[in-house]
Amino acid sequence: MALQGILVVELAGLAPGPFCAMVLADFGARVVRVERPGSHYDVSRLGRGKRSLALDLKQPRGAAVLRRLCARSDVLLEPFRSGVMEKLQLGPEILQRDNPRLIYARLTGFGQSGSFSRLAGHDINYLALSGVLSKIGRNGENPYAPLNLLADFAGGGLMCVLGIMMALFERTRSGKGQVIDANMVEGTAYLSSFLWKTQKSSLWEAPRGQNILDGGAPFYTTYRTADGEFMAVGAVEPQFYELLIKGLGLKSDELPNQMSMDDWPEMKKKFAAVFAKKTKAEWCQIFDGTDACVTPVLTLEEVVHHDHSKERGSFITNEEQSMSPRPAPLLSNTPAIPSFKRDPFVGEHTEEILDEFGFSREEIDQLKSDKIIESNKVKASL
Amino acid sequence: MALQGILVVELAGLAPGPFCAMVLADFGARVVRVERPGSHYDVSRLGRGKRSLALDLKQPRGAAVLRRLCARSDVLLEPFRSGVMEKLQLGPEILQRDNPRLIYARLTGFGQSGSFSRLAGHDINYLALSGVLSKIGRNGENPYAPLNLLADFAGGGLMCVLGIMMALFERTRSGKGQVIDANMVEGTAYLSSFLWKTQKSSLWEAPRGQNILDGGAPFYTTYRTADGEFMAVGAVEPQFYELLIKGCWGMLQFPSQKTA
Repeated sequence: MALQGILVVELAGLAPGPFCAMVLADFGARVVRVERPGSHYDVSRLGRGKRSLALDLKQPRGAAVLRRLCARSDVLLEPFRSGVMEKLQLGPEILQRDNPRLIYARLTGFGQSGSFSRLAGHDINYLALSGVLSKIGRNGENPYAPLNLLADFAGGGLMCVLGIMMALFERTRSGKGQVIDANMVEGTAYLSSFLWKTQKSSLWEAPRGQNILDGGAPFYTTYRTADGEFMAVGAVEPQFYELLIKGLGLKSDELPNQMSMDDWPEMKKKFAAVFAKKTKAEWCQIFDGTDACVTPVLTLEEVVHHDHSKERGSFITNEEQSMSPRPAPLLSNTPAIPSFKRDPFVGEHTEEILDEFGFSREEIDQLKSDKIIESNKVKASL
Repeated sequence: MALQGILVVELAGLAPGPFCAMVLADFGARVVRVERPGSHYDVSRLGRGKRSLALDLKQPRGAAVLRRLCARSDVLLEPFRSGVMEKLQLGPEILQRDNPRLIYARLTGFGQSGSFSRLAGHDINYLALSGVLSKIGRNGENPYAPLNLLADFAGGGLMCVLGIMMALFERTRSGKGQVIDANMVEGTAYLSSFLWKTQKSSLWEAPRGQNILDGGAPFYTTYRTADGEFMAVGAVEPQFYELLIKGCWGMLQFPSQKTA
């Protein structure tokens, strides 16, 4: 696999960090997730392919354990607010003095500096501070955050994986690690560069919710079907728009010009009335296989059984029979091989990990009895 | 810079490809954008750091020019529907025979195979086919696509950069390039793995738009201000919620978070 032999230490946090580390694990890295003793499972459920070590970082001897792990690792991923690691004597200066090859990835909401850098926040706050949230939402409504996908996962977790890959690649030349300030405000903004770059173009000349891409256009939105389901329409180009009109059973010469924005509200009502007359399955019969850019809005369950996904094997299962998306993108020679196993329990691999990192049996026992570590080995059934 | 010395050939297309190549250029790669003669500027305006070569790929001699470029390049990024490059005699088997180190990145909506792979589409279609669109939108309204950010840029362009970086890193060990099938349906789904992974948890027990993260909760949404502007509230944890209440109402008593 692409990341064979790469050792990652992930300090447990919410959503963005676990996702970042899961991607690394999917592509072959060995990921050790360090969790607080007594904590529950990863609420984000993104523990695929990882092993769990329960360690109390707040105790000096706990921090010392982490130091030893990082001395032999390639990547450290930490999600804490700026200054927290430094307080634990685990800042980059210290860990990179031990190990100059260490890639120290810091994944936060607001970043390592700036007036907001020590404040709490969530996806919606980072999205708001990035400027991007102000562009998302229907006409006449408040801005709407698309779940926690844009800041937590795209501008956060995924952008951080990118930074780590850049640093790993660069290290093959320089032999040195780096410190990565991956933060969700800047990551989400950078991801959305297109918005700033096209700000003065006609793409955004109307107020929020009245443009082509933000819900204003009748040919770029979703419609409800007779059975309460939805179809997605994305027919921007004239030749695709023609096919849309045809499929709807309408006549272009009886309709206003596609780009006549004043007529869009009326057109939306017209299209909505047509879509409401047939079921999702009937619309798929009409539009599947055409270039009309009309597709069903599949649910999380439906997509697993849809022809296109089935043909491609887009979904994977695991030993618990839960389905989730196969890692992307597909690499021809060294594809990702996501683990089939369930997510680890907290502290399930504490002892085996410390053993691998050179801790003696005596050291491990002492750490356990002093409650610096916790071991929740699952007993093998006989 | 991280990608010093890396040579990228980008075949012009809309949004996702230009963004992918722009990121590579930003981090130091030398990017050549190949555009059709007579075409206009990049409507996505994501040409930062690139140089432009106008070339007619449909002519055999034009395709031959591209072949020579790829023989000396590290990455080819092409955005065409499955089969188009093969028809131009520019498919991966040919280009990687010339240059086994070439990373051949194919960035499309639906992918290189499957019943939808030769169809036209846009961000909203890929988002719909991924399953993710069905989760986004207010209670009582139709699902709503957040501009073209999720499929075009996150699950598309950015995911493709990731694949290219994985391949570049792997090449430092194997000496070989790879073919990357980066498509927006799968990329957007993978980005959103959290949704499938937490499907059975209480996070999503209510219908769309009535849960904590999709607009149902009063402490995770936006509010309009007196001057017609907006504030974002994301106070999930009890200790943060307390501060929200304090900031709004001072020290007045208020119903508990769960019932509010």
